[in-house]
Amino acid sequence: MRWYEKIGDQLFEPNRSVTPGELIFFKFFELFILLYTIYYSWSWGLYTKLHNSEVVLSLGLANYFDVSYLFNHNIPLFIAFLTSILGIVCFFRKGPKWLYAVVFFLLHLQYVIRYSQGEIPHSQNMIGLSVFCLAVGSIFFSDKQKMPRFVLGAIIFFVGLGYTSAFFSKLIGTGFNWFDGRHLWLWISEKSVDILSREGSFQLNFLQQLALSSTLISSVILLFGWLTELIGFTVWWKKIRPYSMSLLILMHFGITLSMNIRFDAFVLELILIGFPWYKLIDRSVSSTPTWIQKMV
Amino acid sequence: MDHSFSKKGIKIIGVIFVLYAVLVASHKGEFWPFSIYPMFSQAGNPWTRAMVLDVTDLPDDQIWETHSLYNRFAEPVPLKEHGIDQIDFSNFISKTENWTPERREALRYMFGQNRLGSERWMASKVRGQLVQEDSVIVEIKPFLLVTADTVRMNPSLDKSEYFNGEE
Repeated sequence: MRWYEKIGDQLFEPNRSVTPGELIFFKFFELFILLYTIYYSWSWGLYTKLHNSEVVLSLGLANYFDVSYLFNHNIPLFIAFLTSILGIVCFFRKGPKWLYAVVFFLLHLQYVIRYSQGEIPHSQNMIGLSVFCLAVGSIFFSDKQKMPRFVLGAIIFFVGLGYTSAFFSKLIGTGFNWFDGRHLWLWISEKSVDILSREGSFQLNFLQQLALSSTLISSVILLFGWLTELIGFTVWWKKIRPYSMSLLILMHFGITLSMNIRFDAFVLELILIGFPWYKLIDRSVSSTPTWIQKMV
Repeated sequence: MDHSFSKKGIKIIGVIFVLYAVLVASHKGEFWPFSIYPMFSQAGNPWTRAMVLDVTDLPDDQIWETHSLYNRFAEPVPLKEHGIDQIDFSNFISKTENWTPERREALRYMFGQNRLGSERWMASKVRGQLVQEDSVIVEIKPFLLVTADTVRMNPSLDKSEYFNGEE
C-alpha cells in the first residue's frame, strides 16, 4: 500500500461499517452547514446592499469580472434567496447530484461581492470548504454509505493542510523569530484599536495584561500557537485526531482571548468533526430512522 | 466499503489539492474558500488600521493634527452601532491608493446615506509600531472629514498620501 493510500484509509476508514449513529450525525452536521450557509448568504447580501458601492479588493472570481454590477437591483438578496432554496433542496436530496456545486458557486459569488471592500476574513472558510466537499461528495459518491465518509474525510484533510500551511506561511514570512513575544504586543495593540473603533471602548483582559507584562510569557503563548499549527496535519490520523483537534480548539480560544478574534463557526465545526460523536449516538440508537435514510 | 473507495477518495483529494495549489498560487494566496492562511505571517512590521472620531464640536484648526492614541482629542464613533463592519472600514481606508471623488463618495455611502445629519466624522488612519525594542507607540492621523454632503481631505497632508500617481 502506498503512503497516500494509508492516509486515505485513515481519513475514510473503509474497514469500518456504517452505523446508524454515523448517518444521524452526518445529517446533523449537514444541517449545521446548511444553516450557516443560509445565514452567511443573507448577512453578506444585506451588508452589500446597505454598504457596498465600489470594489476595493477583488477576491476569487471577482478577479475576472466587475462585481460592482451585482451590488444593485437587489441582486445580492436574490442570490441569498436562491442559495437558501437550493441548499434546502440539496439537504432533502431532491435535486440532481450536481446541485450542491451550484450552491457552492452562489456562495462563492456572494462572498466575493460582500468582501470586495478590502477585508479578507478566514472565519467563514470552513463553511465554504464544507459546501465544496459536499458538492464533490454528491457528484462522485452519491452512495448513501460513502458520501458521508468522503465528505467528512475530505474536510478533515483540508483542515489539517490549512493549519500546517499557516505554520509555513509564518516561517517563510518572518523566519524562526516569528514567536518573539514583542510581535504579540504589536498585534494586541492592533486589535485593541479595532475593538475601540468597533465598540467605542476597550479594556485589556487578563491574558493580554499577562502577555504585555513579559516578553517571555508572550513568546511562550506565540510558540504554543505556532507549534500547534505545525502539527495540524496530524488530524489525518484517526487515533491522534481528538488530541490534535483539542489543541487546535484551545489555540483558537487563545487567539480569541489574546487578540479578540472570534472564530465561532470555525471552532464549532472543529468540535463536530474532531471527535467520534457517532459512537455516543450509537449507544442510544439501534437503527437508522427511515426519514434520515431518505435524506442521506 | 473496501479499499477501492478510500483509494478513489484520496485520488479525488489529490486532484482537489492540485487545483487548490494552482488557485492560491495564482491569486496571492487566496481563492475562497482555499487559502494558505497568511494572516499574521509577517510579524514585527508596523501596522495601519482606521477609526472614526466624532469631531462635531471641535474647531477646524484642531481636527487635522496628528496625535497619539492615548491623547486623542475626540471620542471614537462605535461603528458597530451604525452597522458598519470595522475590519471592512479599516481595510477600505488603508488599501485605497487613489482617493478619487467616487471612492470618497463610496466612503460616505459606507457610513450610510442621511445618517450624518449635522455631525462631522473624521476617518483617521491609526498606525502602530515597535520603538526602542520594548514598547509600542500608536499614532492617529486625521485623514478624511465626512459630513452629510462632503468628504474633505486633510489640508496638512501631502497629495501623495491620497494619490499614488497611477489611475
